[in-house]
Formats: sequence, structure tokens, C-alpha cells
Amino acid sequence: MTRYDPDRHAEAHRDLETVVHVSCVRHSYEDGTTVHLCGLDFLVHRGQRVAVLGPNGSGKTTLLYHLLGLLRSREGEVRVFGVDPAEAWPKIRQRVGVVLQNVDEQLLAPTVADDVAFSPRQYGMPEDEVARRVTATLGLLGIEHLADRVPHNLSGGEKRKVALAGALVMEPELLVLDEPFEGLDPASRAGLIELLERLSEERGVTVVMSTHDIDSVPEFADYAYVLAPGGTIVFSGTPAEVFAEAELLAHGNIKPPILAELFAALGRAEPDAPAAALSIDHAVEALVRWKRGG
Amino acid sequence: MSHIHIPDGVLPLWLWAGGWLVALAMIAVAGRIASRSEARRKVPLVGVVAALMIVSMSSEIVPIAYHVNLSVIAGILLGPALSVITAFIVGGVLAMFGHGGVTVLGLNTMVLGAEMVIGWAIFHGLLRVIGRPRAALGAGLATVMTLAVTTSLVVGVVWLGGAGAAAERESGALDPATMRFENPFAGGIFELGLLDDGRSEAEEDRHDEDERYLSAGRFAAVVYTLGPFGWLIEALVTAGIIGYVARVRPRMVFEGALAEERQRIPGDESGGH
Amino acid sequence: MDIGRIDAAATLGDSWLHRVAPASKLVAFALVLAAVITSWNVLVVGSLTVALLAVAASARLDGRLLLTLAGYPAVFALIFAVSAATSVLGGTTIVLKAVTAALAAVTVILTTPYPYVFAPIQRVVPAIVGDALLMTYRSLFLLLEKFGNLLTAARLRAGLSAGHPVRAARATTRALGGLLIYSFDLSQRSYDIMRMRGYEGRLRVTLPTSTSPGTDALLIGGAAALLATSLAWRFGWQALNPYSWVVPLVPLAALAITLLARGRTT
Repeated sequence: MTRYDPDRHAEAHRDLETVVHVSCVRHSYEDGTTVHLCGLDFLVHRGQRVAVLGPNGSGKTTLLYHLLGLLRSREGEVRVFGVDPAEAWPKIRQRVGVVLQNVDEQLLAPTVADDVAFSPRQYGMPEDEVARRVTATLGLLGIEHLADRVPHNLSGGEKRKVALAGALVMEPELLVLDEPFEGLDPASRAGLIELLERLSEERGVTVVMSTHDIDSVPEFADYAYVLAPGGTIVFSGTPAEVFAEAELLAHGNIKPPILAELFAALGRAEPDAPAAALSIDHAVEALVRWKRGG
Repeated sequence: MSHIHIPDGVLPLWLWAGGWLVALAMIAVAGRIASRSEARRKVPLVGVVAALMIVSMSSEIVPIAYHVNLSVIAGILLGPALSVITAFIVGGVLAMFGHGGVTVLGLNTMVLGAEMVIGWAIFHGLLRVIGRPRAALGAGLATVMTLAVTTSLVVGVVWLGGAGAAAERESGALDPATMRFENPFAGGIFELGLLDDGRSEAEEDRHDEDERYLSAGRFAAVVYTLGPFGWLIEALVTAGIIGYVARVRPRMVFEGALAEERQRIPGDESGGH
Repeated sequence: MDIGRIDAAATLGDSWLHRVAPASKLVAFALVLAAVITSWNVLVVGSLTVALLAVAASARLDGRLLLTLAGYPAVFALIFAVSAATSVLGGTTIVLKAVTAALAAVTVILTTPYPYVFAPIQRVVPAIVGDALLMTYRSLFLLLEKFGNLLTAARLRAGLSAGHPVRAARATTRALGGLLIYSFDLSQRSYDIMRMRGYEGRLRVTLPTSTSPGTDALLIGGAAALLATSLAWRFGWQALNPYSWVVPLVPLAALAITLLARGRTT
């Protein structure tokens, strides 16, 4: 069992710039609900792929809204690229790409091409540069054919891709995604994970995403934070470390990936069972080795 | 009765063009006032409220084939400056759907804008007298009064239209025949005789003066008979909706939509989506 | 007024009229509208109606949708005509003018996506007005979808049936109330998104250019010819009225040819 160890975490990324730092933020909504994002500090380093896990009502979206400067913290500290996003969002907004939960509402312009061109145009780029970027981004997501369509005639998955194109067109250094897998069919979901991996590897994009899709965490993320109801950040670590915390997950109403559960059950039944492997390949490998060894 | 259901090409040029000029001036002023503060927050708000009015106008209350306008509600929530802008947008979109003329858009903006602004003013005036707990009643009453006023505005426009036609004829600025419904066959081939009542031009002019009062009177009779049913339905719907919103989001009703603070994020902190 | 079907016709349709540049269609629309306004000769106005029907038929527009939309103002024109017109012929002209003007507008909106119709307007009005005008389009579809859901829910809960008009009205009112609240939350979220995506005031829409300038010129030329005819009959009515019967023949022939050609290809 690996408890969160801030020293180890800091050590692993010591040479990397801290992109996001949230510490002990409290937000009170008008109706009296309070979300207190405290406990551990929420740290994201350049190039990291961070998943935020937690049950409904744990404040995942509130956390992301603070990163985006949409909510202003009344106490505590929020830093993105070294500035408070609620104060100085215009300074950093070109470096941050965002896709929130309801993609339908995020498509602002009346046509797909105009929507993807939204940010570059608002930043005053010349029209030929805008066109170049739009074409390139649509190509990256494989949706060139949608350029002239109107958003409400698109399928849910297509809308999500268009929203993502709108976020990627400025070639952001930090990508913030709220429930990016919601409403995607398995093929689109696999495609999205592959794309995010490519962005992360080729361009070194830092990704922060909240998700309910537990299976995507070991597949995609290299670090995860777990939020408990009320906003407390209770645990952080690599996916393997997080999913080993069965009790914590159960308390947070998070269902671990099926493989993690399988290995946990196996571990209870057979003391010499192998440690949890979170991908099919690794699981097969571990089980084969165990069978041969036993 | 909020938009003028007078078709394109019936009102004289000076009237509809004048309507356009006044409306554009109103929009310019409203645009300037609205841009003074929080302009960017107002853009989606106006867009959404305009869309809301169009959606409500396009959906009939099932059994009675009446459509509501929500104009008084929109006025209460938006306040005067944004109301004028919204009225123009709603009129413009409806005109392109064939639902009200393009030339009368200026007049439509004035009437619909007046409806929203007057509704807002009467509602807030009434609230002072009857108190916030009776917001629904206030909204209903404000709606009836407002619609009575704006219906009269429309009748006034029709009366002016009649007067304008006669004036143009007298001044000779335009060909007299064009303002009269001239039988196109009068000159030859065959006679329909629909208009040929054998009166002289002078008689015709006097007749037109009478006709102007007569036609405006007939139009008034029609709208004042049918109108009140519409006012009543609109008032009931308005009262229902304002009563509901005053319960769940009081600030929106009493201080306007922009006074609203951020609501809780959907899907977060609420234990579900 | 079925907004969804209107939009689908404009955005998914593909005809020669869809491919004409939006600006050219708006110019042609203005010319035809001017022709409708100028003319008080029932045969000339009728000719304009037939000419527009021929254009609509050649673009294979949904006839029923077109006529429903264009027919809507007829009802109100009729009220106006009954009270204001001095004769049956005059009343007919008023109704016909209303229908023809609406027909022209509807032909444009059924072949041109909303943003392209309103983008030219957006460029000349104050930024807050123009941008809100464009935002209305996206909002319309978000609200329509939400309203459909709310209405269904309200009806299910109210046990809606045709026999209960009061209940039905209440269900609609409740749905509208819910829609209102949703609208304001939506506008707040849209604002968040706009802010995040760097909105600085002034949306921009790229207008498609024409694929065949010849067709555009032909359309505008045709519309100009209609206006010329209308003006000629208005100002030279004393000399021309005896020949009014000639005017409708041209568009009638055009309509007949279009329908024949359509019949042959389908």
C-alpha cells in the first residue's frame, strides 16, 4: 500500500515546471453549498496526464472551474502558469484549451469551420493563418468533411470532436477536459484516447481531465487525484497506486476498473496471487507468469 | 397582438420607412447603453431570450391554437435597453420566416419593444403597490394593461397608414392610381366593374377621408374584439411563469436577469446530472 | 413555424438556389420585395407570386412547408383587408402582396442557412446587437430540444389528453417556466465559454462565395426584371393597364416548364 508521499511526487517531477497548483480553495455557492477543495495540494507538472476522480458532488467540476478562472477562490490559492486565472485569464487563455461537459453549449459559432476559427479570430490572427490552422486542426481530428455543417445537425461524438478542435486550434500547452468520454461510443472513445496520447507525446501537451470512465484512467493517465464528497482531495498517485486503495475507493463511491477488482479478489483468495495489472496485456502476462511459477 | 400583422407593401412608404428610422435610432441608443457595462455577458443573454421568445411563439398552446409571446416576461427580466435589442432580433428572425413583414420590421421593433418596456415599467410600478409576494398577480395585470396599450398602438399605425395613403394622393406625389385599387382591365379588353362606381376624383377624395376613419375603425373593432382573449391568455401564462420563477429564483424577477449570481454547476455538487 | 424543418431545408438542401451566394440572394430578395411594395395591380402582383413559385419549384423546395409559411401572413392580411380595403379586388391584392412578400422571404430562408442571412446585418449593427443576433441561432436549437423534453415531461406528469385543455395549457406553462430558468443558466454558461475562448466582442462568419457567378447574375437580373415590370405598370399604368394580362403569361410559362422538366427527371 502506497500512501501519498509528497516528497516522492515532487522528486519525480522536480525538473519539470509546475503548470497548475491549487491549494485549499473554498467556494460557497449562492444557495449555501460549500465546496472545500482542501486536503492535498493539486499539482500538475508539464507534460503530465492527470485524471481527477471522485463521486458526484465531490467538486470535480468546481476544481476545474477554478483552474479556468470561472470561479474565484475566496480563500486558498490557484495558480495556472504562475498566475491566478480568475484575475489574469486573458494572459494565459491562449495557452489553455478547454472542453467542458455539455459540448452542445460550447459550440458558439453557427458553422463548424467558424466555430473552430473562433479563438484565433478573437485573438486577431490574419484570416489566411486562421484558415490554415482550422484546416490543420480539423485534419488532426479527421473531421474535415464537417467544416461547413451546422453544429445541431451533428451527432454527439462529432460535436465533441468539434469542441475539441476548437480547443486545440490555438495549440494549447494545457488541455482541460471535463468528462471527455461522456456520450462517446467505444470506437470514438478509443480514438480520443489515442489522439490525447499523441498530443501528449508529440507536443508535450499537459492534460487535466475529470472522468467517470474509470477504465480510461490506467489507459491514459499517468497520475490521478481522488476527491471525496465535499471536495477534500484524499489521495493521489499513479493509477496503480490509486486502484490499490480499495477501501478509499469504496468510500468515495468509485468503482475501480474491473481488472483491479479481479486482482484484488484474487489476492484475497490466493495469498501468492500477482499484484494488480491494469491493462489486458499486463494482466495476461502476470497471470501466465503466476501459472507457470505456481 | 404584439407584432403588427400588417403585410409588406400595404403601409405607405413614409410610415414604414419612418418606423425603420426610429427603430434604428432606438437600437443605436440601446446598443450604446447596453455596451457601457458587462457588454459581453449581455450578448448570450439577449441571444437566449430572443430564442426563447421565438420558440414560445412557434409553439401553440395545444387545444386553442394561441401562441404566447412572453414579451412582458422578457421585458421584466431584461430591462429597457436590452428589451429594444431583443425586440429587433425577434422581429428580424420572424420576418425571414415569413411571420411578419420585412418593411414593417421597424414598426414591429417599436411595438414589441414598447410592449417589453411598458410591461417592465408597469410590473415594477405595481410591485411597489401590491408587494413582492403578489408578483404573479402583478405580472398578470401588467400584461393585460401593456397589451391594451400596444394593441392601441397598432390601431394607431393602421389609422396613420390610411391617413398617409390619402395624403399622398392629395399631394400628387405619387400617381393617384397606385394608392387606389385600380381595375387593371379598366382600359380595355373586358370590364370587371368591381371599382367602377362612377364617382369623380373629387368625390373619391372626400370618400377616402371617410374611408380612412371607417377602415381604421373596422380594424379597431376586429382587434379589440379578438384581442382581449389573447391578453387574458397571455396574462395567465405570464402570471404562472413569473409566479414560478419568483419562487425558485426571486432575484431574477425582482432585480433582473443580470443580478443573478452563478448557479451551481450542473452535474456537480448536486448529486447527479 | 417549424424551425427545425426550415433549418434542415437550408443547411442540408442542395439546389442551384442553395449554391447561389447569400449576398446575391439577399439582393434579389430586396429587388423582389421592392417590386411587391410598388405594385398595386393584382395581375402584376400575381405574376410575382407565380415567378417565385417557379423559382421555388426549380429548386425543389418542400412545397407544403413553403406554402404553410407563406400562407401564414395571409390570415392576418385577410383581417387587414376586410377592414381596410375598399373592394374585393383591393382586398385580394392586399392578401396577395402579403403572401408574395412572405414567399420571397421564405424562399431565401429555405435555401440559405440562418447565419448567412443574418451575417450581413450583423456587420452593420452595433456589436452587441449583431452578436446576439448570431447567438440566437445556436440558442434556438438548444432551447427547442430542451423545450421538447420539458413539454413531454410536463405532459406525462399532467396526464395530458386532448380532453383537458386547462391541464394542457398548464403543462405548456410549466414547460415554459422550466425553459426560462434553463435559458438563463444557458446564457451564463455560454458567457463562460465565450470568455474562455477569448471572446472580445464581434463574432465573425465567413460567407460562402458563389460557385457559379453566372447563376448569381441571372438571379439578380431576373429579380431586377420583375422590379422593372412592377415599376413600369405603376407609373405607366394608364398606357399599360390594358396589357396587364400579358404579364402573368411569362411566369406561368416558366412555372409550367419547370414542373414539366421536374416531372420528366423524377
